[in-house]
Amino acid sequence: MSTTTLRIAWRNLGRNRKRSFLVLLAVALGQLAFLSTAALMRGYGDEYIRSLTGPLVGHLQVHAPGWREDRSIDEAIDHLGETLAEIRRDPEVTRASPRIMAPALAAVAEDGFMAMVVGLDPAAESHESGLLAGESPGARLGAKRVLVGRNLALRSGIEPGMEIAIVGQDLDGSIANDLYTVSGVLMTPVDMVNSLGIVMDLGDAQRLFVMGDRAHEIVVYTRDLERVEGTVERLKALPSLGGTEILSWQEIVPHVTGLSRIIRGFGLIVLAIVFIAAASGIANTMLMSTFERTHEFGMLLSLGCDPGRLARIMAVEAALLGLLGVMVGTALGLTFVVATGESWFDYAALSGRDAYEVAFQGLHLTSVVHPRIHLSDVGVGVAAVLLTAFVSVLWPMVHIARLEPMEAMRA
Amino acid sequence: MSWAAHHTERTSRWGGRLLPLALVLAAAAAPAQTPTPSAGGPVPEAKELLRRMDELYESSGTMAEVEIEIVKPGRTRTLRLKNWSRGEEKALIVIEAPARDAGTATLKVGDNLWNYLPKISRTIRIPPSMMMGSWMGTDLTNDDLVRESSYEEDYTSELVGRSADPPGWEVRLDARAGIAGLWDRVEIVFSFEDRLPVEARFYDRKGRWARTMHFEDARRMGGRLIPSRITIVPEGEEGQRTIMQYITVEFNVDLDEGMFSLSRLERKR
Repeated sequence: MSTTTLRIAWRNLGRNRKRSFLVLLAVALGQLAFLSTAALMRGYGDEYIRSLTGPLVGHLQVHAPGWREDRSIDEAIDHLGETLAEIRRDPEVTRASPRIMAPALAAVAEDGFMAMVVGLDPAAESHESGLLAGESPGARLGAKRVLVGRNLALRSGIEPGMEIAIVGQDLDGSIANDLYTVSGVLMTPVDMVNSLGIVMDLGDAQRLFVMGDRAHEIVVYTRDLERVEGTVERLKALPSLGGTEILSWQEIVPHVTGLSRIIRGFGLIVLAIVFIAAASGIANTMLMSTFERTHEFGMLLSLGCDPGRLARIMAVEAALLGLLGVMVGTALGLTFVVATGESWFDYAALSGRDAYEVAFQGLHLTSVVHPRIHLSDVGVGVAAVLLTAFVSVLWPMVHIARLEPMEAMRA
Repeated sequence: MSWAAHHTERTSRWGGRLLPLALVLAAAAAPAQTPTPSAGGPVPEAKELLRRMDELYESSGTMAEVEIEIVKPGRTRTLRLKNWSRGEEKALIVIEAPARDAGTATLKVGDNLWNYLPKISRTIRIPPSMMMGSWMGTDLTNDDLVRESSYEEDYTSELVGRSADPPGWEVRLDARAGIAGLWDRVEIVFSFEDRLPVEARFYDRKGRWARTMHFEDARRMGGRLIPSRITIVPEGEEGQRTIMQYITVEFNVDLDEGMFSLSRLERKR
């Protein structure tokens, strides 16, 4: 293709500026729609995974075999202190949080209610993705003080300062029971804790349930969320973790990969819409200009112009329209991402409400999302538009090739 | 286990007419394992069997000493307790051994159930949502203990026929709609000889076989013929069961009405 072809094509576009501009706009809007949707979807997916692998699941978990199914109090990890020390020595591990979880009957007055005692290590959980994120460790726990999940507190009329009785079953099978002081109400990203949880210091829980140096679960965090498998393998080889079950977050919540696929599928649907929008815009333009210029083509052909050259000019016209449109659309899309990337995108603000937090299926989701874009998203949009441009120009090209110059001139 | 005819007892008037027909069908249907057609005498009414079962340990004043062995893989625990009850409305259970749990009590008055914990001097009412939960770590439920649900009232019953293993009359109970926290279905086998319960199979709300109760070692205690040992075997739990053994039982004892009260519970312990 020579520069002449390019120049002719470019000038042809300028012959009907309004129409060219409208097609360009259609393509640009399509690409903008695709990019912004892709960015929001990615941001949403990221947020979902973060919330999932935050306090509730972590990056990987250690349990006694069978505990996840039975939730039996005696299926606990032994030699907790030793086990934690060995886990923390691994280079990729940033944090290890031990937890005790046992159902119990609780009461402030005479009426008892069902609750879940959650024993944890305040120092480990005060980290930003822990259950006590933002608290100073030991501020409200220890010395038989407990924090009550907010929904549970509201439902059962529990307020700080009250004395709460907790009754359960200890490791010997005996009736575990003791009195604790409510030091506050707790709101966490984990729905279960908010609705049923009575949170106490790990040591207090171990004493209540006569568990000694044991816990039910160790939630471990590593440096890289994407490369957890390596750490899982190394931990499995450690001696003190011999009899335990170690699972990565993907194994604990496998439905998340399904969600990523749904997100990507949704992106493809938007892309298809972009495809159709671009195609109709470009196809319409090319068809109209082809028919308009039939007389002109006839003249050129009768003067000896190569039909192939005419077809190439048409193709370049379509490609130029598409590329220009895509470039504008990409610029707009990137602006959107950069603008909202800094200040976060709040779905709720769009509908005039305050930012919300929603609990669903044990997860805590916010209305605030951080849009993110990958270069591949831009590339996908460009490729789609170019493909559409060429497809939409096929018929006109065939038409030109079949033109009878004499008939065309008479058109 | 097999059983022969399947019919519903409406009144004993019809029982006599249907019985020969049923027996003929029975003999034709399952010749191999059916017990001899005349075993057990006349076919009883399901409702009557259930009423007797409900009233087995009831009286105007029942006093019993019971030993409960809780068997789990790796450890066994034995509780010794005293149980007082008046009719089907009031009951008090106080644990006497082991020393760690001594003084722990459970009180039932009507539909309400409380636990008293001596160590913290607190009385806590058990919410209805926990009625089907384990009592004191045994395979008994809170509901079992206080018999809040009556077999006769809360279930529709049907005499299924004869059971071969264990031998006896089999009654099937289906939970009535709208009553929360019950077993969905219970199958009880009553012995031919003395119409006492021999075995009961319990099915949970999802229709799964959850546990079996074996009523064993029937003997005369306190002037009545009762199964003196009840073994509860949960399904799907290897090596786990609870064995309730009646040591002494007295019926129609004059009990102080005041003993079935919370304040007495707290004061005394």
